[in-house]
Amino acid sequence: MSSNVASRSIGILLPLVVSLIVSGAVLLAIGKNPLDVFGLIATESFGNPRRIAATLSAATPLLFTAVATAICFRSGVFNVGVEGAFLVGGLAAIFLGFTLPATWGFALFPVCFLAAALIGAIWLYVPGILLAKFEVDEVVSTLMLNFIAVAITGYLVNGPLLSPLSGNNVTPLIHEVAYLPRLMPPSTLHAGFLIGLVCVAAYGYWCRYTPAGFEGALIGLNQRFSRAVGISVPRTIVGVMILSGVIAGIGGAAHGMGQMHRFSDGFSPGYGFTGMAVALLGRNHPIGIVLGAILFGALASAGTTIQLFSNIPLDLVNIIQGTVMIFAVVELGRISLRRKKGTANAN
Amino acid sequence: MQPDARSVALGAVDLHKSYGSTKANRGISLSVMRGEIHAIVGENGAGKSTLMRMLQGVERPDSGHVVIADKQVTLSGPAEALAQSIGMVHQEFMLAPDLTLLENLVLGEEPVTRHWGPLSRIDWAKALREGRELADSIGAQIDWHRRTSSVPVHILQFVEIIRLLRRGCNVLILDEPTAVLAPPQVEELFDLLRNLRANGTTILFISHKIGEVIALADQVTVIRQGKTVFQSAIVDTTGPEIASHIVRDAPQVETQPAASPTVNGETVLELNGLTARSLEKSQSLESISLKVREGEILGIAGVSGNGQGELVECIAGLREISAGSILLQGADITAETTLARRNRGLAYVSADRRHEGLTTAASIETNVVAGSHRAPPIARSGILSRKNLRQEASKRLAALKVVFGKVTDPADSLSGGNQQKLVFARESAGDPKLMIASQPTRGVDLNGIAAIHGLLRDFRDQGGAVLLASEELDELLSLSDRVVVIFEGRLVGEVTSPAGAMAQIGQMMVQGDAA
Repeated sequence: MSSNVASRSIGILLPLVVSLIVSGAVLLAIGKNPLDVFGLIATESFGNPRRIAATLSAATPLLFTAVATAICFRSGVFNVGVEGAFLVGGLAAIFLGFTLPATWGFALFPVCFLAAALIGAIWLYVPGILLAKFEVDEVVSTLMLNFIAVAITGYLVNGPLLSPLSGNNVTPLIHEVAYLPRLMPPSTLHAGFLIGLVCVAAYGYWCRYTPAGFEGALIGLNQRFSRAVGISVPRTIVGVMILSGVIAGIGGAAHGMGQMHRFSDGFSPGYGFTGMAVALLGRNHPIGIVLGAILFGALASAGTTIQLFSNIPLDLVNIIQGTVMIFAVVELGRISLRRKKGTANAN
Repeated sequence: MQPDARSVALGAVDLHKSYGSTKANRGISLSVMRGEIHAIVGENGAGKSTLMRMLQGVERPDSGHVVIADKQVTLSGPAEALAQSIGMVHQEFMLAPDLTLLENLVLGEEPVTRHWGPLSRIDWAKALREGRELADSIGAQIDWHRRTSSVPVHILQFVEIIRLLRRGCNVLILDEPTAVLAPPQVEELFDLLRNLRANGTTILFISHKIGEVIALADQVTVIRQGKTVFQSAIVDTTGPEIASHIVRDAPQVETQPAASPTVNGETVLELNGLTARSLEKSQSLESISLKVREGEILGIAGVSGNGQGELVECIAGLREISAGSILLQGADITAETTLARRNRGLAYVSADRRHEGLTTAASIETNVVAGSHRAPPIARSGILSRKNLRQEASKRLAALKVVFGKVTDPADSLSGGNQQKLVFARESAGDPKLMIASQPTRGVDLNGIAAIHGLLRDFRDQGGAVLLASEELDELLSLSDRVVVIFEGRLVGEVTSPAGAMAQIGQMMVQGDAA
């Protein structure tokens, strides 16, 4: 068990260390002291309660997208369509948030979240069934669905759902009663962060204490074995896709109702993809996911302020983020190799 | 120097090789004379593949040595074997499916118009010329411009052979070359190999189909339990004699009198005209009917590749059938899922332990409870109890005396015998009515074999029905109450008192009839 913990920790720390070395080299090359810069990043992301709140706020959407990704990855399903489900779920929640009468009050929360979960589920059910029944490669189908999600939401916010009060690319604001409460005003940290933690905990429970979670892990490791012991591989694949869509949709709703309060063209700056890096970095483990989301949240929040206080370009923080992602994704190759081995018929 | 007609092209002198405690080869000697077709036959696990790996330089022998062209050599790897003109055609072809045949032919050793490193230009005209000349020389017709993935499997085999010839090989090792071929394709391959022999190429081919050995080879060497047990010119021997050497002097694994008194129990499994046709390279099944009763072990004998694996998969619900029906305790389960069949009391011990019988990367406890994870006591009202899971796992492991470290260790940490015991621990839990055991002792050491045989007998003696598919004829004969023989996807005979019927069964396995 201890060696397991050790190897997990190395798996999480190694990408971080390597990316610090790489970005340290870049800093030296442009004549900066790496330690000063890293210290500044740390202060800017964790230095005082306000900075911590900003970091957690930036981590919030990643909690959802990372869980949504991990559900599929641990089952050997390479769903890269969380971004799309996050967008359509978010738009669904926002749409109901300004369309339904404000007199509904708190009832708006469950309605909006349920709608987002449902739309997200339907969104990923499609590639799930295509994979389970027709062996359509899920990487291709979910990736393409992301483009479709961007196009559909883009069309809607520029056309039918365009705010009459605003010129470009945004919907109207949702009713104020449908705003998720802020946890530490004036920071933007909102109740969505807590919902995200609940989702992570629920994911951890699902993995360990439900037959479906047990089956997901097994088909991720060995589909032939799973079939032989009576597990329906197609049903499990569709199941994890739907669950992934539910979490991604809820994430979109939380981001919309807690942070943005409306839908706009830039609703998600790639949360789905950063969430993928978080899931890989965290090795699909709940605690790893929380730590990974906070790390990326820290880089994001530090990045926006760091160039205000020093002459270090934002690009440098992006380089760190990029290298962490690359080394986290090295793991992806290992998983896909494992899946190939599992499905290949010996003989 | 012109090689003497009686020189040894490829040989082995007293090769030994152990993997851990398993002695894969313990004294193999072999002399393949230049220009002959030499067959190596033996059962699975007899040590053929280990021998091939040493001849090819993939493995170093613990003692003894390999002989190439009358000289003792120490090979550093396949590249050196290739440099010494020894080439191997594997069962899985090493061709890139998206390239043309011509591209595959020259891949790795392309003819170039000028040697400018990365700027060299491939001389495709020359490549084509070489391919055509070699194909003509052995009487093969090959359209070199076709995409590899669109070409029938026997043509791919020809391309593999031609590729080795082009690299200057004059000794070819073929590992079960006919395993993937249909009968007419086998004929074509044999014609081609005879042409090769006429051109002076030496061929070593591995097989366990005696009929093919008789039809093609000049010399035969039989390997059993890691030793050379028989060598002869084909003209001086017969099929039955070879068969007897393949299976003779088995370690007497406690050959109990198999007959059990209760063979007239209720029918547990009934197959009626089961037919399964497949487009893939697997054996089709034609109209198979059989019954297995309570308290009975029915053995399925057959040479590998004649359909026993496919038959077992059909019954377990892992392969689609095209016609016929399967009845379990009188209920028609033909259309049921694997899960439904298991819930009715079907247990399945897969022949492919490492990929289907187990998930080697998952923990021992996961492996031993998988399949029962939706039922009490492990799951109650949809929630999985880790405590009950571990209790159940420990109970099952203890019942079959599986030796393991911790239940959270991966199944990979177990020895072959204990892995198979783990599979039995899972499959025999929950009071199954029918146990399908396919190659249950493959890759298991002698102690493990004895334990597994004991398990199967106990299950039978307690009224269970067993369908046992095994390529180990000794095992079948010592365990089974009845044996049916499968040949090219059909049942060709039944033996009701298997003890002492080895010759008869062997004959049916090889020729499809007892004549």
